[in-house]
Amino acid sequence: MSVAARTPVREEGRLRSYLDFYATTMRTAVQANFQYRADTFLYMTGTIIEPVVYLVVWSTVARAQGDVAGITAGGFAAYYIAWTLVRQFNLAFTPYGWEWRIREGRVSANLLRPIHPIHYDIAEFAGWKFVNVVVWIPVAVVLVLIFEPALHPGLEDVLTFVPALWGAFLLRSLNLWTLGLVSFWTTRTAPLFELYILLELLLSGRLVPLQVMPGWAETIAAVLPFKWTFGFPIEALVYDLPVSELVGGLAIQTAWIVGMWTLMSVVWRRAVRRYSAVGN
Amino acid sequence: MGALRIALLYWRVAALNELQYRANFFIQLVQAAIGFGTGVAVILLVFSHTNELNGWDAYELLALFGVQMLLGGVVHSAVQPAMQKMMDDVREGTLDYVLTKPLDAQLLVSVREARVWRLVDALGGLTIIVYALTQVERAVGLEDVAGFLVMIVLGAAMLYCFWLVLATMSFWVVRIWAVNDLFEGLYQTGRWPIGIYPGWLRYGLTFLVPIGFAVTVPAEAVTARLDWDAAVGAAAFALVAIVLSRAVFRRGLKSYSGASA
Amino acid sequence: MSAVEVRALEKVFDVPEREAGLREATRSLLRRRTREVRAVDAISFAIEPGEIVGFLGPNGAGKTTTLKMLSGLLFPTGGEAHVLGHVPSKRERDFLRRITLVMGNRNQLQWDLPALDSFELNRAIYRIPREDFTALRDELIELLELGDLVKKPVRNLSLGERMKVEVVGSLLHRPDVLFLDEPTIGLDVTMQRRIREFVAAYNGRYGATVLLTSHYMADVEALCPRVIVIHEGRILFDGGLGALGARFAAHKTIEVVLGDASGDLERYGEIVQRDGERISLRVAKADTPSVTARLLAERDVLDLTIEDPPIEDVIERVFLEGSA
Repeated sequence: MSVAARTPVREEGRLRSYLDFYATTMRTAVQANFQYRADTFLYMTGTIIEPVVYLVVWSTVARAQGDVAGITAGGFAAYYIAWTLVRQFNLAFTPYGWEWRIREGRVSANLLRPIHPIHYDIAEFAGWKFVNVVVWIPVAVVLVLIFEPALHPGLEDVLTFVPALWGAFLLRSLNLWTLGLVSFWTTRTAPLFELYILLELLLSGRLVPLQVMPGWAETIAAVLPFKWTFGFPIEALVYDLPVSELVGGLAIQTAWIVGMWTLMSVVWRRAVRRYSAVGN
Repeated sequence: MGALRIALLYWRVAALNELQYRANFFIQLVQAAIGFGTGVAVILLVFSHTNELNGWDAYELLALFGVQMLLGGVVHSAVQPAMQKMMDDVREGTLDYVLTKPLDAQLLVSVREARVWRLVDALGGLTIIVYALTQVERAVGLEDVAGFLVMIVLGAAMLYCFWLVLATMSFWVVRIWAVNDLFEGLYQTGRWPIGIYPGWLRYGLTFLVPIGFAVTVPAEAVTARLDWDAAVGAAAFALVAIVLSRAVFRRGLKSYSGASA
Repeated sequence: MSAVEVRALEKVFDVPEREAGLREATRSLLRRRTREVRAVDAISFAIEPGEIVGFLGPNGAGKTTTLKMLSGLLFPTGGEAHVLGHVPSKRERDFLRRITLVMGNRNQLQWDLPALDSFELNRAIYRIPREDFTALRDELIELLELGDLVKKPVRNLSLGERMKVEVVGSLLHRPDVLFLDEPTIGLDVTMQRRIREFVAAYNGRYGATVLLTSHYMADVEALCPRVIVIHEGRILFDGGLGALGARFAAHKTIEVVLGDASGDLERYGEIVQRDGERISLRVAKADTPSVTARLLAERDVLDLTIEDPPIEDVIERVFLEGSA
């Protein structure tokens, strides 16, 4: 009898295997994405344009009047340049991905793996971030030279910024992944996704710093999850927030992550049931 | 002439294809509504903090937004689907069928795919322009409308040439999927008058990426602020763009066929 | 004048080369290493109008590359090619109107529309006069027994039906040269036969020259009086299929049914298969007459047949010899 047949099949400890899975998936994602350098650069240029346009518009207004809602042109520059880094981080698996998977009949492959499919999608995008950030650095340098941001972050700001970045990624991944599950019930997820983006644009700090929005919008934004996927990390780095607000912000972000994870699990179970009942 | 005949032929087929999917029309309506909502909300937000932006007032800016939507609809219905298909074909080797037809390759590649429903955006943009014109202070006359129509056509031509050059890049960098994202990103700059951008960016957005010429100039025309220099410049630029983009495309074809020079 | 004339035709590709791993990926950022691949290595042949020629070879042999150079899709890196008097890579309109390309598994008809609509499109593209178009279209539909299938959207047709309508669409302009690249790939046996019969019928009726690439022996056996065997970019053989067998086949197979199959049969030849009393023997070609005579004399033979080796074995032998 061969060695393989004699020794019993062993499984690694659960936590260890998850870490290993993430590390391997991320490393593979980096290698794969490395080949698409031209694409990464083009895509990045495409994503940088959006904040630059906002920056120019609001700086123009700020310069004409001194400031807008207390933010100077330099303040806007700092905000939007930090925005570009946060954007690289909150890129996540979109509902279009689910649409494609279902259309190409790849869902079964996901279901047969002994690990919840969301881990792969999160790990893959997490790996891409490393390539994205490397390509981002020279772009950021250029932006800083051109727009001269007023940026003086303290140590506690930076220490909050880094986990907030990853928290934003996690939360936005959960939001979009769960939204994508609607594809199991209908093929027309595009309008829903666009609605999400619209809300995100106005209520997360993506379009403008939230204090520029009218008061009632700011209040609504505080109770919705969008702010914690985008605006919070930016504000943590760029504004001089007191430590209590920094820590409180991270706490709220974590609470939202836990809440969305629960929602995702519930919806996923329903989706699998539907898939098994209806088939492809 | 022959080219127009072929274009109409293919667009008719595209319409035939799409009319089978009526649901897409409603989806498009919803998406257009969301797009308009966003655009108008942003303009409102900006004008809650100021009265004018770079010499443009709220309704002039609305007209600019309408022009951007109008041209966007034209590009998304007739230009982008064809260019996307060309890039897909290059990647999958199905461009061969285009090359063995006795038709000009650029013509065939540019007209064989269209998404008729996206013209909804164009219609919406036109509506916004008309509304904005009723509120604009300056009097808008017939010659402004004529100028506007000419500039729109030139603008569409320029955007087509730009897309053609972008898509031709796929001959050399075959696995390119971000071209679409790049264009969409760049096109967003057209929502605001190019005067607000710092000097070098303004030049880039006028001559490198013809968004300024394509969007701002027609908007100036329709709001009766166009000066002749800009109009002549736009016409000249469009001509150069047409010639240059065709040359780049032919060069790309040669490279696809493995010619060394 | 020959329909196709090829002299020292050559196609060399520069293929990037890189090993696996992250370090190699970074290194490739700075320095691109390429390898020269001679896909087609100075081949020459001539094809007369009306001939059906099959290009045989394993995957990557250079058959599709040759076809692409002859249809104008690829520029040759050396040598010259003329098809119908034109230089294909110039892609002159008159040239393109007289050829057609059909690639197995690659559709060009509109996916969501009935084939008839796509035919109309082709009519307009090739500027076919209305009466000629209708006559030829109906004739082709009948020859392929399509009936009402042309009214169904192409996406609703089976693979074989799709191939049939593709073929019709590609012949509406009555081309003089047909380039068929693996036309029967993925089709079931019946459909393969149908397509072959059609090509032969078309060639007989309209005298079109047919260049066909395939790695299915059956295509070539059924359709092509002349075969060009390509391997690693070079022509190993150009002639009739029978001549191929004669030149390269070194063995024959003797199928014999014996009344009594006991004893040592190895002295007659290599036993390839044994099924009770039915035995297949592999014998050197030169020895076949003497072995047959001995069998008939020494054993109780109930049935005996002498066969050429299957053509696949012959081709394999050609490749082995070619790459040696």
